Amino acid sequence: MYTDYSVNDENVKDYQKYERTIKTIQKRFKTYGYERIKTSTFEQYDLYSTVTSSINQKEMVKLVDRSGEVLVLRPDVTIPITKELADNFTTLPNEIRYYYVQDVFRQSALQDEGIESTQAGVEYFCESSPEADAEVIALACHSLKDLGFEDIKIEVGHAGFFKELITLINLNDRDIEKLKTLIKAKNIVEIEELLSGLDIEEEVREAIAKIPFLYGNPIQVSERARGIVQTIKMDETIDYLIEVYEILKMYGLEDNIVIDLGLINHMGYYSDIIFQGFVGEFGKPVLMGGRYNKLGNEFGAELPAIGFACEVESLIKAATSDIVSERMPTDIKIEYSSGYITESISISNELRERNYTVLSYPISKKQLNVQKSIYQINIAKENTFIYRNVSTSFSSIQELLKLMNSAKGVK
Amino acid sequence: MDYITLAIATGRISKQAMALLEESGISFPDYHKKTRKLVIYDQTKTVKLIFVKTADLPTYVEKGAADIGIIGKDTIMEEQPDVYELLDLNLGKCQLVVAGFPNQKLQNGAPLIVATKYPLITKSFFDEKEIRIETIKLNGSIELAPLIGLSNVIVDIVETGTTLNENGLVILDKVVDISSRLIVNKASFATKTLQIDQFITKLKAVLG
Repeated sequence: MYTDYSVNDENVKDYQKYERTIKTIQKRFKTYGYERIKTSTFEQYDLYSTVTSSINQKEMVKLVDRSGEVLVLRPDVTIPITKELADNFTTLPNEIRYYYVQDVFRQSALQDEGIESTQAGVEYFCESSPEADAEVIALACHSLKDLGFEDIKIEVGHAGFFKELITLINLNDRDIEKLKTLIKAKNIVEIEELLSGLDIEEEVREAIAKIPFLYGNPIQVSERARGIVQTIKMDETIDYLIEVYEILKMYGLEDNIVIDLGLINHMGYYSDIIFQGFVGEFGKPVLMGGRYNKLGNEFGAELPAIGFACEVESLIKAATSDIVSERMPTDIKIEYSSGYITESISISNELRERNYTVLSYPISKKQLNVQKSIYQINIAKENTFIYRNVSTSFSSIQELLKLMNSAKGVK
Repeated sequence: MDYITLAIATGRISKQAMALLEESGISFPDYHKKTRKLVIYDQTKTVKLIFVKTADLPTYVEKGAADIGIIGKDTIMEEQPDVYELLDLNLGKCQLVVAGFPNQKLQNGAPLIVATKYPLITKSFFDEKEIRIETIKLNGSIELAPLIGLSNVIVDIVETGTTLNENGLVILDKVVDISSRLIVNKASFATKTLQIDQFITKLKAVLG
């Protein structure tokens, strides 16, 4: 078998990066109970033109079939999945967890970006609950950690907050669009200019002008947000976000979460919590998602759901760590000193029972094992666990498992 | 601590921007007016300054090659980068105007021919006024176009109006007021919140 990873062919290398990224993400999706599906490459143009304010029609790649009907190359995955489910159910029979890895096609106005890009995402059909929403955000963060990113920030917002606020003022669609653009740009100077020309209550004007600054540490932001709350629904929105944040803290993610109440996603179908993920030094979000409880209604069904999609190409570009740029690593390598083979076998089996990939070999044959691993374990008189050059000793399998979990910041 | 990268456009506003930074306590000892260096660090090595071409600056910030940029509103409106626009620095104040000969009518049946560096802004301005136009994109000496009959009018930046006067042109309409803005990459805002916050606080203290 010619699995020569040292080949100098750039095309092969590029593809290997791509494949490793996808494999890593897939593996993580599966551990949260998601099952893979695929959708058709060709979709009805009507499907996308009827769903309100989702994808810019100019961005879709269209073609005409034999009967003269207009088709598009799949510009998004969430809408067809929801449509498919809505064709079978009018209400959700039980929770459903799907994941997908497939290409989407969009022609952006900027020619420098390709038409075709790969998305790896999940769709979790379930009722709104802080537990479910936090789990999906945790999965997003967990996937990024698996890819070796350290500087991860997930911005969490709520589509309902802004929507509720603008019901209080009488604005035409054009002004609403203008306001959205300005809030997205946190352009406070022009927000104030725009609002000063309109007949709005002073309190509401102040509230809107403060939205761009509702950014940062969730607890602090929520306190500041209480000060501008105008309706019970806005208050509930903040309560909800804090509940989600409290659960994310249990996942050990408090340092990765910021709240941005000025976050407005261009996908109009999001109805509640929304989020996007950034990794250090990369200028664009690498994943985006949110809850879309009303999308099913477009097809006559009640199908609440939350999901997100990772931009695979962006992840590859952003990756500097070995995990993506080098060969796909094994989970664990165990090196044992002579006389410790029994202990090594017992630990290896314990770990394999937990579905980790384990290589174990005597320390004397170290040079024969060039395969990289995420964790390394040395078994001798004292057992040590090594992750990113930090070694810690352990005495039992329970301690080892704890160490492995905390290494990734997952409690 | 990681440094943040600040991009400043070469040309008109760079001197004023440097003065503002100096006043805010962010000084660059290696900077002098004739420097040919493209990358300079500040005294605390927490800000890396790069000089780039005006039209390229939004791209640098949008793609994250620079975390922060100082750039005229005209370029932001024309390039429409997906960035945060956090401060009005009140530098390089001027106007974007429609100019032409004194007797030039804007509404005239036939499409108005407009020479400009800003085709996008020009189009949306005249669209809103429901005036049909044809744009001619030029990169400099815009005032020349009506003089030699290349266009009926121009849309361009006016600071003092001297160039227009000397060429017998007058302002026919104002498009928008321009000043320099502070733009920030959205990902940097998430991952380097603290440093960017500190930077902005310093500038705000001077702007009042």
